[in-house]
Amino acid sequence: MQPLYRAWLEFTLWLGAMVFWLLLTQGLAIWWQPVVMWFVLVLLFGVTKWSGHPAQAVPLVGFAVFIGWLFLVRLDPNWAQQQFWGFLVGALAYLIGLFGPLLVFDAPILWACGSLGLLLMTLLFGHQVGGAKAWLTLGTVRFQPVELSRIFLVVYLARQFGERRSGWKTLLVLGVFLALLLWQRDLGPALLVFFVFCSLSLYVHFSWYTLSVYVVTSILGFVAAYTWFPHFSNRVLAWVWPWDYSDSKGYQILQGLFALEAGGVAGKGLGRGLAKVIPANHTDYLLVVIGEEFGLVGTFSLILVYLCLAFWAVQLLMDVEGEVQRTIGLGLILLLHGQVFLVVGGILRLLPFTGMTLPFVSYGSSSLVAQFLMLGMITSLGRAPK
Amino acid sequence: MNSKLRKCFLGIALGYVIILCGLFYWHLFADLGQHPANPRYYLMFRQARGSILDRHGDFLASSAGEDYKRVYATASLAHVVGYFHQRYGLTGLERLYHEELFSGRSLYTTLDLEIQIMVEEVLGDRVGCAIVLKPSTGEVLALVSSPTVDGNALDEFWPDYLEDLRSPFLNRITQGLYPPGSLIKPIVYGGALAQKLVDPAQIWVDQGALQIQNRTLSNSGGKALGAITTDQALAFSSNVVFARLAMDLGDSLLEQFLAFGLGSQTNFELSSQRGYVPPKASSPYALAQLGIGQGELLVTPLHMAMVVAAIANRGVMMKPYLIQELRGGLQMRQINRPQVLAEVMPEQVALIVRDAMVLAVQEGTAHEAVVPDLDLAAKTGTAQVGQGKDHAWFMGFAPSHQPEVAVVVLVEHGGFGGTVATPLGAQMIAKAIEIVDSEKGKR
Repeated sequence: MQPLYRAWLEFTLWLGAMVFWLLLTQGLAIWWQPVVMWFVLVLLFGVTKWSGHPAQAVPLVGFAVFIGWLFLVRLDPNWAQQQFWGFLVGALAYLIGLFGPLLVFDAPILWACGSLGLLLMTLLFGHQVGGAKAWLTLGTVRFQPVELSRIFLVVYLARQFGERRSGWKTLLVLGVFLALLLWQRDLGPALLVFFVFCSLSLYVHFSWYTLSVYVVTSILGFVAAYTWFPHFSNRVLAWVWPWDYSDSKGYQILQGLFALEAGGVAGKGLGRGLAKVIPANHTDYLLVVIGEEFGLVGTFSLILVYLCLAFWAVQLLMDVEGEVQRTIGLGLILLLHGQVFLVVGGILRLLPFTGMTLPFVSYGSSSLVAQFLMLGMITSLGRAPK
Repeated sequence: MNSKLRKCFLGIALGYVIILCGLFYWHLFADLGQHPANPRYYLMFRQARGSILDRHGDFLASSAGEDYKRVYATASLAHVVGYFHQRYGLTGLERLYHEELFSGRSLYTTLDLEIQIMVEEVLGDRVGCAIVLKPSTGEVLALVSSPTVDGNALDEFWPDYLEDLRSPFLNRITQGLYPPGSLIKPIVYGGALAQKLVDPAQIWVDQGALQIQNRTLSNSGGKALGAITTDQALAFSSNVVFARLAMDLGDSLLEQFLAFGLGSQTNFELSSQRGYVPPKASSPYALAQLGIGQGELLVTPLHMAMVVAAIANRGVMMKPYLIQELRGGLQMRQINRPQVLAEVMPEQVALIVRDAMVLAVQEGTAHEAVVPDLDLAAKTGTAQVGQGKDHAWFMGFAPSHQPEVAVVVLVEHGGFGGTVATPLGAQMIAKAIEIVDSEKGKR
């Protein structure tokens, strides 16, 4: 555990430097936010550790959250403020995931109903902000149910696979879920959930036949989406020929690449990039702002944090007893990292871009809360080594 | 069970490795800084940019006014300093040192603005080029290629530049390929002396023409020079004598050319042509042709400038260079120091060749170059070309015993080197020395 405390110490020093920088350059009244965030993180770390769970993920995720928060301050302090409250709710969600007996009861129907119910409610009562009709309002709180909904669905799917009772009912639930998402024109989460479904099914029982069925389905799905969704075909065109559409479809992806290129190795320095020309620079494209101002060093370390998180989670699963729990854990891990692949792969032109947040970093309280809940659930599966 | 989990982890890790490769590529290897859709490219033209200065700190290029318009001290700098324009892009040193200039640092060159302007004026509107070097170090003091585009007036004249058949974009010093004509003779003479094939005082009988394998090679204008020494053969540019020397040298003539750097990359800061030296002479006649700088041989004026500077510097060839150092911020970075490329001929041989070149001025083909009180060594050349009038060449340096400047002048299709290029070259050398001396007096 010794190295872990050292990591904490370094993290704290880094944080101190950041607060100092904020005081010096911005004179902003929000310097107390990172301090509170630090105390909350220490609290989460302590609670996790003393309750006998492995706590290494907390500082890793803390790093990602701070980087994101820092860049939100740089873009617009109001966003950082929102993110701060989102983080506090997220901490609560983490504790619920950690201590709530969510994964214990064998009630798959509840998970399925919860997931589909949230989506249905969005469809019926939701309203449109930006492109997709994906927001629900409860009193003064506005959130995106799809973030929670896909976690529930993955838990349901994993449970079905883990118990070896997946069948037409599972497929039906998945089908309804995907149909509802496509109805809302929300392709990213649909793609992500499909990816998790295929991976889990192959994890439980690998066969070349199943794999080929999934590959064929993906290709058919791709062709269908390309034909029927102009939104998607534009994304594909922008992916393959961004240079030909530099002022329309390809604008965003090109601006992202320009920013990364301008960042070089060490970046231009905080606040010195040209973030204002990048659309969605606080959500989907926050990574390229980091890339321009912190350079390869910044983006590389962020990706390394995710890689460490994946290693930590898989290590944790290896000690888990019970196939069902393990499958659920794996489903959640794939959901988290699949999202990173989709968004970063889209930015780097490895895949067509599907708009989603970068976990723990991008602006968005709903996704931050959902991801903390997920992290809590994964952590709850593990037992710290004695 | 765990092996399945391990495979899952390896799958995820593979995904991240691919992402890291993508990040490496776009951060480090992509070249998008000057893509037209990149707003950073436009913004580059709306901010202060480091200056480019001459050896005394006078501005060659600077950003002026509120709109940071790039201003150049004189038009001919477009071939050296280049230009920096939103629509027409970046060239020359502006392009080569863009990163440094962009980050606000200043570039100190070896040029002398006063000499540059003087050379530009002397050359006038002739189609040709001239270069002035300091032989002892290889520093380039002036580099003019005419006609030129004007970095200050690209907007007004761009369509005219594109239509101009005299190719104003071509830097004739580094990119122009010409037969060297009689300018090659000092090299041939040096080679023959080094191999002890000839003695400076040896008497030759020049009857104006030479029969080689039923073909005739004659002097310029077919003039018979009679009984002359080898020194006089160089001074009066006898084709007959040098054709015979070339045939005596045989294949080692080509080695001699290569030793002087002809036909090879100059590694100059501005992109340059290699020129051409044939790998082998097909016949004695071809060899004789090469010995008088005709045939397949092609050089750039920069090559000849390196040759004349090497003769002036007693056989030691220096690397020609344009950039001294970068200054700005906290650092000063020396880019170049004088650097010896090779000892291309023994000192005694270089001195004999030099004296023959002095003789060329006093009584030979370069007699037009006589300037009172100036101790000048020079060689003229008249290079025959397939079409049109001959190219007129001049190369020289002064003072011959302690050279301060070396000059090469080329006038395209100008005619006879001794009457067209030589007066220009002599004038440039005289004025350049005057400028150098007056600057010495100032300090």
